[in-house]
Amino acid sequence: MSGVSRAVKWLAAVFLLVASVAIESIGGSENLRASKRPTAPETRTDPASIPAATDPAPVTFNHDIAPIVYHACALCHRPGEAGPFSLLSYSDAKMRARLIAEVTKRRIMPPWLPDEQGPKFADDLRLTENEIALIQKWVQQGAPEGDPAENSAPPHFVEGWQLGKPDTIVRATRPYALAAGGTDSYWNFVFRNPVDRTRWLKAIEIRPGDKRLVHHANVLVDRQETARHEEKEPGAGFSGMELTIESEVFDPDSHFLFWKPGSIPYTEPEGMALRLDKDTDLVLNTHLQPSGKRETLQPTLGLYFTDKPATLHPVLLQMENDGMLNIPSGDKAFVVTDEFVLPVDVDALAIYPHAHYLGKDMSATATLPDGSVKTLIHIANWDLNWQAVYRYAQPVSLPSGTKISMRFTYDNSAENIRNPNHPPQMVRAGNRATDEMAHLWIQVLPRESAGSGIDPRVLIQEAMARHMLEKNPEDFAAHYNLGALLQMRGDLPGSIANFQAAVALRVQDPTANNALGAVLLAAERPAEAVPHLKVALQNRPDYFDAHYNLGNALAAQGDFAGALGEFRAAVKLNPEDANAEANLGSALAETGNRQEAKAHYLRALRLNPNLEYARENLQQLDSATPQ
Amino acid sequence: MYRFSFTFLQVIFLWVVLPVSAFAQSSATDLSGKAVDPLDSSRGQVAVLIFVRTDCPVSNRYAVLIQRLSAEFSGKAMFWLIYPSKAESAAMIRKHERDFGYKLPALRDPQHLLVKQSHIEITPEAAVFDSQRRLVYHGRIDNWYEDIGRSRSAATTHELHDAIQAALGGQDAPVKTAPAVGCYLSDTK
Repeated sequence: MSGVSRAVKWLAAVFLLVASVAIESIGGSENLRASKRPTAPETRTDPASIPAATDPAPVTFNHDIAPIVYHACALCHRPGEAGPFSLLSYSDAKMRARLIAEVTKRRIMPPWLPDEQGPKFADDLRLTENEIALIQKWVQQGAPEGDPAENSAPPHFVEGWQLGKPDTIVRATRPYALAAGGTDSYWNFVFRNPVDRTRWLKAIEIRPGDKRLVHHANVLVDRQETARHEEKEPGAGFSGMELTIESEVFDPDSHFLFWKPGSIPYTEPEGMALRLDKDTDLVLNTHLQPSGKRETLQPTLGLYFTDKPATLHPVLLQMENDGMLNIPSGDKAFVVTDEFVLPVDVDALAIYPHAHYLGKDMSATATLPDGSVKTLIHIANWDLNWQAVYRYAQPVSLPSGTKISMRFTYDNSAENIRNPNHPPQMVRAGNRATDEMAHLWIQVLPRESAGSGIDPRVLIQEAMARHMLEKNPEDFAAHYNLGALLQMRGDLPGSIANFQAAVALRVQDPTANNALGAVLLAAERPAEAVPHLKVALQNRPDYFDAHYNLGNALAAQGDFAGALGEFRAAVKLNPEDANAEANLGSALAETGNRQEAKAHYLRALRLNPNLEYARENLQQLDSATPQ
Repeated sequence: MYRFSFTFLQVIFLWVVLPVSAFAQSSATDLSGKAVDPLDSSRGQVAVLIFVRTDCPVSNRYAVLIQRLSAEFSGKAMFWLIYPSKAESAAMIRKHERDFGYKLPALRDPQHLLVKQSHIEITPEAAVFDSQRRLVYHGRIDNWYEDIGRSRSAATTHELHDAIQAALGGQDAPVKTAPAVGCYLSDTK
């Protein structure tokens, strides 16, 4: 008999799984960035060498403005991109001159939320004060074209797929019809099983459809195919601003797969590829804005693979404090905080703050063990519509013991024009646009500590789960995840206690009951495991793992007839599982059906020729069978 | 008498042979190029002029509301879409009306005659003339947009609606003007 119990699942409470596949340089290896930024016009002058705005010389498009516009605007303001009009020539710019002056002066454009505090971010398109002053002066002077001899060519952009033809292109099954008017829509497209075997994803290009309609989009990796159950019928998609995705194993989602206007797909550095398995779904979560006419969107994803499996494993630190979100109506400055102490040394690679329409000031700081304080991000005027994943230009080194502090301020007064409630109302945490969120994700790469023997990701996840439970002792997912982590570390009593706490919070939950049953089985307490596995199956009759575990629990107590039924059910649900086949063989052998047992051992060995205990069982069966 | 009559005919004749483009010098035109004065053509009704552009995302997002308002005041107020950009041809405007489901008469105003008469600087912006052809309101449709790129989930004040209602009841508009948010007309010259 095999004593193997099914690995317990990892519940990742990932809302909005995000991941702009984009790390410019990791620990000094900077060979991997494969972005195709437009070639900057050669005439773009260093800001320091731009004549001061007080210079009496006339400011012209050809001499002064084209380099700014082509660098900072044309990425989106060109045909097929998100900008509502093109800025690729003098006449384009002249037709919008006053608008350009207005929106640049007030830093509405280019859109960029973080201010200068904190480390530099990659792809920061913010204009310098000097550039803004030049534009002002140009418009005041009547927006002259200038000397044609100084005319610089508009930037060259890569047409079509930005990284060349993808290895796999998947298209949403069905288009989504966006109404002409009304409030913004949040729509999810499920791409079912885009790969037919395990592949290593090094880049993804998200083509959300008409880019003028899409504020932002996130790809979620759905390893458990949970989101597809939200669809009324396969391919229909479903509505919703935030999602929760379950993960099968300890494999916390750790990459930002994010699209915003002007996004350029990036290639992961070597060793940072993302694993995709054959039964994984990708879910595209989109934020759409009606244009005034009825529109349809049918997004496509371009997937780029590498042969090199991941060797570097980043983690998403999830800071949050939704529990504090009880924002009284009229409150202009409601503060939500969270603090987390790093249990290991890490390099921070990217940061993604997230709130809804009441968020106003958002900051994250790091207090290092030496007492020094680093700003990780500061946004003085949050705007959901321009949210983004911000990647650090250089990794930010944060040693073990660093305290990360998140501080978000919310404005629930009528003066906040984005307030979705009129008049303002008490707002709590939730997934709808009228609810709020207080989330901050930081993608970190743990430094390998020599000789500790424990995956630093486990230490981070364990610290995060414990931190969640400090904030809310009734956090089901935190108890569950802590149980899974402790099981992984071999702490069975700790694991059992946390799964028991999770089951106490959700008595009928099939996943938690199965996990508790599995660890009780591992602790050689099969009699206690059985009732939990039965509850799991009452609530989810087609639960392969629970049938398998219950089969083992019954067999461990000598109830081979009962075990036989469970393994038969398991094999029926998943005919490709070698362990289930082998255990079915053992249950048959134990109940005297040797002929059939042999067939299942052989089938198990065809599925997995390295299944040693099946081979041994088979030999035992052959030697015991009278010829 | 003969001579006088002859002169009169001569004037008529000259009008008829004048090229269409010459009309545009002194009037807005419909999409066939015919001169149209929307205030005359509103036949004593309240006239509502809404200035839009085919390529202004803010005015485009108002299409649904503009169509709804015109339906609400159907038979009482005459709605006109005014396209002030010289660069927008009749064909572009026809396509725009089709795309956005507009069922309102459209006029081109490349010389900005209606723009000046209505004190308009932005698209989208509206002007309301009472039955005596007096400008009683000009400005934003409502306060949906607070600024470029900053909009409410829904408007909380409805200046155009209130101004039309006031004009129909022979009252003064609650406000004579309110600042619009959108695309600058000065950029279209």
